[in-house]
Formats: sequence, structure tokens, C-alpha cells
Amino acid sequence: MYEEFLEDIAQTNGLRGVNTYLKLIAGIGAILLCLLSTSYIPPLFIASVLSMAILYLARIELRTYGELFIVPFSFAVMSVVVIVLLSGGGEVYWSWNPLPWFSLSITSESINEGFFVFCRVIGGMSGLIFIAVTTPMTDLFVVMKQFRIPEVVLDLAMIIYRSIFMIMEQLKQTYQAQVMRLGYGSFRESIQSFATMCGSVFIASWESGEDLIRAMDARCYSGKFAILGETRPVEFLPVLAVAVFLILSSLVVVISRNITLIGAGP
Amino acid sequence: MSSIILEARDIRYRYPRGLEAICGISFHIRKCEKIAIVGPNGAGKSTLMLLFNGMIRPDSGILLFDNEPVRYDKSSLRMIRKRIGFVLQNPDRQIIAPTVYQDVAFGPVNLGYSESEVKAAVGGALRYVGLEGFERRPPHQLSGGEKKRVAIAGVLAMDPDVLIFDEPTAGLDPSGSEDIMELLDELNSQGKTIIISTHDIELAYPWADRVILLLGGKILQEDIPDVAFGSPEYVRKAHLSMPTLLELYFELEKRGFSLPERKPRTILDMLNVIDRAFHNRPCCSEPGAIMVYNVDLAEMDSFRAWLSKNPELSIGAMGTRAKQRAMDYQITMDFTYGVIDKCILKALLGEGSVILTTESMVQRIFDRVRDFSRENGVNIPVSLLPEASENTE
Repeated sequence: MYEEFLEDIAQTNGLRGVNTYLKLIAGIGAILLCLLSTSYIPPLFIASVLSMAILYLARIELRTYGELFIVPFSFAVMSVVVIVLLSGGGEVYWSWNPLPWFSLSITSESINEGFFVFCRVIGGMSGLIFIAVTTPMTDLFVVMKQFRIPEVVLDLAMIIYRSIFMIMEQLKQTYQAQVMRLGYGSFRESIQSFATMCGSVFIASWESGEDLIRAMDARCYSGKFAILGETRPVEFLPVLAVAVFLILSSLVVVISRNITLIGAGP
Repeated sequence: MSSIILEARDIRYRYPRGLEAICGISFHIRKCEKIAIVGPNGAGKSTLMLLFNGMIRPDSGILLFDNEPVRYDKSSLRMIRKRIGFVLQNPDRQIIAPTVYQDVAFGPVNLGYSESEVKAAVGGALRYVGLEGFERRPPHQLSGGEKKRVAIAGVLAMDPDVLIFDEPTAGLDPSGSEDIMELLDELNSQGKTIIISTHDIELAYPWADRVILLLGGKILQEDIPDVAFGSPEYVRKAHLSMPTLLELYFELEKRGFSLPERKPRTILDMLNVIDRAFHNRPCCSEPGAIMVYNVDLAEMDSFRAWLSKNPELSIGAMGTRAKQRAMDYQITMDFTYGVIDKCILKALLGEGSVILTTESMVQRIFDRVRDFSRENGVNIPVSLLPEASENTE
């Protein structure tokens, strides 16, 4: 069960000391460029550069990174299959008409379209994962504050953040206590154990909520939450790296705009 | 004597639909005092502490802070809570914010400090508890001791005059506990009044200036530690045990040694006591013998016969199997725990004793007794018993 949180990985990654904005610009910029590109090449280029950054600069283990990709990857494969079979155009390689109004076909255009979507997913995911593994939530709170997210929302987000880990810990302990007493032996028992676990964790979280109010009161809560501003300097080398990455990617987007997998460009 | 900072006059508190948790308590605490509130579970320690900083309001009676009655309007409460800091038992329940910096800054920000003041307060508090460089760490990644320190820093950042700790060492390893107690001493030396609640008497005894023994919502005893813990009757009533050093002191006293008036509170004190005692009047001329009987080797019937010939011997049993054998053969045991130490004590009084034990423990007993003999320059004879019983036949 709960081995490691993404958040914990992010808290200790190799790019922790880099200014949050730079990392966000790199990640969001990458995602936008993936969406803007009209060819499959730029997303692949972006994905490979960001993967290198994740693996070598942020020093995330290959295994962890791979695991993060499994879910989006499998979704991408499923949707690509549907796209390839349903969309048409171009040379037809295979088709099947099971019903008069319904046909499945594989054509050159559909393969192009499917592969393009697949690459976009990979590129976008690498941008998203880059942000997720290099920028912990605690840094994002600072950004949210500077972007004038309403204070109520932000305070709530921070309290939720803190509570998640406490409730997870509670959940883990209850789960372990149940496993130790063979609580998940049979299917029936599993359901029963799961239900009791949910109940006890609900009560525990309710109690810790009351404690939270007390703790805040004891420390003179008057509706304010402190936030440590961004103090990490914008250094020259990271700025240069991000700029070069974004400019190169934009160039690739422009140059490769007409390239497709089958029957490349006019 | 310094002035009184906190005073209670006949305060009572009853939980809604519950028992009366505090039934008429009066006491006063002076500035710069170290107070330990000691009592069994459910004695009302935590409730009493919640009353101190206005978290709950007494049903009757007056609580005075700095010689003024505590008022329960919003701004007075804020003042009280700024000046009386409360560190909860479970730091997880106290740490609110997602990072260490944010949590420590929580109090100062809500007190309306400016940003630079907040930074200075947080920096100072973190330095004080030794957590510099932890600012951006999320609390769930910290160890128990570190979390406790964050909780303490969060309170220190508000610069209170009085610090209240509910079970300051609960859940900490021994060295972590020592560290925290040292921190409390340091805070106290800087003029802060410190109140702790605990049921760890070994911790409270050497540390506190005064002890308040609490039982069933009432004060059982309120005095300096050696008096508060020195009465076996009160200690038993409050479901506590006497601090080891104090017990030792009384044991020596019973043996007629002339001891210094001051009760020992540390090992060093104790050594002085012992030095004094033994220079003034040396130990009895001939220490008694300790005999070890291995229940795995010999037959119990002959042993029982031998025992009946030596009724003056004290009998101790070590280990479950040895105790079981002794009970099977209806041998009355004098000691069932701390057996070696108690037998050494007997030996030093010139009395002999037998330890019933199993094969694996024999060597341990010999080592312990010989170590003790060597360290203290006495010669306690220790022997394995089946030979002795054969000799007598």
C-alpha cells in the first residue's frame, strides 16, 4: 500500500533550490507548445528534453518516473486505438463494416492523427510530471498567494494539505492493525475491514479537526496565515537553460509544422 | 521571593454532561518557577492546563494572571494566549501549516507583527530549538523529536512569559526527552515560568521546583519534590511510584546511616550521600552470601529440605520458569522483580539469600554480583547451590 507520496519525491528533488517560477514557466511552456504544435515531432522533442531534466537534473529514479507514466500511457493507448479506428481520410489500409451505418477503418490519415495525439499526450504529460516532481505543493502555495488566489481558498488548501498526511498516517496505521489481525483474509472480510477502516478514520479526522481549531485558537488565530515568500534567487544558468529550451522547442514547432508520420508534408 | 504570575482561587470545572473534572483547586505559581503537575490518567491535568490559557472557562472560582482576573472577551483572551504559550502533547495536533516556517510564523502573523518582525521571531525561535534550515520542510517529513521542537518553536515565536507543556516527553526516545528537558531548563533560566504535566516521576523529580500532585480533580499535595514524592501514602494514592533516588535515600536512612538533610535529586547527589554514609559508619563487617539455584539441574525436593534447615535465607526467583517451579513446590518467594539488586542489598546488610533461576541466567547473576563487588570494594560470596546442598547432606 502507500509507499511514497509524489509530494515527498518533490520535496527532495535535485531542482528544489531552483526558483519556482522558472520551473513553472518551463513546465507550462512545454505543455502550451505541445498543444500549439501541428506535428508529432515537437512533443517528442519536448518529452525527451524534459525526461532528461527529470532524470538527470532532478535526479528522479527511472523506475519512479516510469511508474508515473503508466496510467496516462495506458489511457493514451486506448484513446489512440479508438481514434485510429474511427477517423478516416487518405489511403485505406483496412476496413470492416459490421453494420450498415457503422464502419471501422485504418487509413493513413487516421494513423497520422492517432500518432500525433499520442505524442501530444506524452509531451504534455512530461511537462506536467516535470512540474509535479520538481515543485512541491508548499512552493505552489507561495505562487498561489502571489497570484491573488482568494485567501479563504488558499488557507483551506493549506489546511487540507496538512491534514492529508495526518489522515493518511491514520489510515496506514488502521490498515496495518487490520492486516496484522488478518482483516483482509477473504473477500467478505475485506469489505467489512474496509468499512470499519473508513469509519474509524472518519472519526479520527473529525477529532483532529476539532483539535486543529483548538490549536489555532491557542495561538491567537485571527484569520491570517503566514507564507514564506519566494526567496530563491533567479540565477543566470537556470534562466538560460529554460530560455534555450523554450526557444529551441518553439523553433522545432515552426520548422516541423507540416511533417506527418505517413506521407510527410507537401 | 518573586511575584505571583498565575493564581487560582477555588476553581471548578465540569465538562458538559460529564463528571466534574476540576473540583475546587487553589494554588499560585510564581514568576520563573518550574512546576510539575503530576497525577494519574484522568486526574484532571490536561483540563487544568487548558484552564490556564483560557481555552476553557471555569464554572466558578477565579483565575488570576499577573494579579488580574482573567477575562474571557476576545481581546483579553488574545493577550492571555500570547503571554501563556501552550505546547500540546501530540505535536501533530499542534502543527497547522504545511511548512515549518509557516507554522512557526502562525502566531506572530496573527498577532499582527510586520513581515520583518515575523521573520525575526521565527528565525530566533527556530535557532533556539536547533531547527535552522528546516524552514521549507513539510512537518510530515520530520521525526517525532523534530516535530516537538517545531511545536515548541511555534509557541516561543510569540515570546510568552509562561510556557505550559502537556507531557513534554511523551513519545520521545530517552535522548530526545533529555534534550527537551534541557531546553526547558534553558528557557527557565531566561526568566520564563514553566509548567509541565507528566506522570513520569523520574523526570519531574530532579527537574521541578515545586510539584502539584493531582488526583480526582483535587490537589493531593503541593510542595517541593522530595516532600511531594517522599510520602509513600500520597505516592500510592496518586498511582505513582517513588523516585528511585528518593527510595534509595530512605532505604539508607532505615539502615541507620547518618545522611545529609538534603535529599538526593541526581546521581551525583546520591553519590555524595553514599560517601557520607559510608565514611561515617562503614558497612556491616561481613556481607551475606548469595546462592544461585539452577532449577533446571537439581531436584527440588532435596532443595526444599535444605531450605527448611536454613529458614533465615531470603528467596528470590528470576525468570518465568523459575517462578513456576517455585510455585509448584510451594516455595514462598520474597522477591520476584529486581531480584539481583535486592539480594545484593540483603548481602550488604549481612544477610544471605537464594536466587532461583534457570540455566541461561546463572552467568548473568554471577557477573552482576562480581561487578558490584569489584566496583564497591566489598566481597559478596556467590555460589551455585546444588553443590552446597550436597555438602550439607
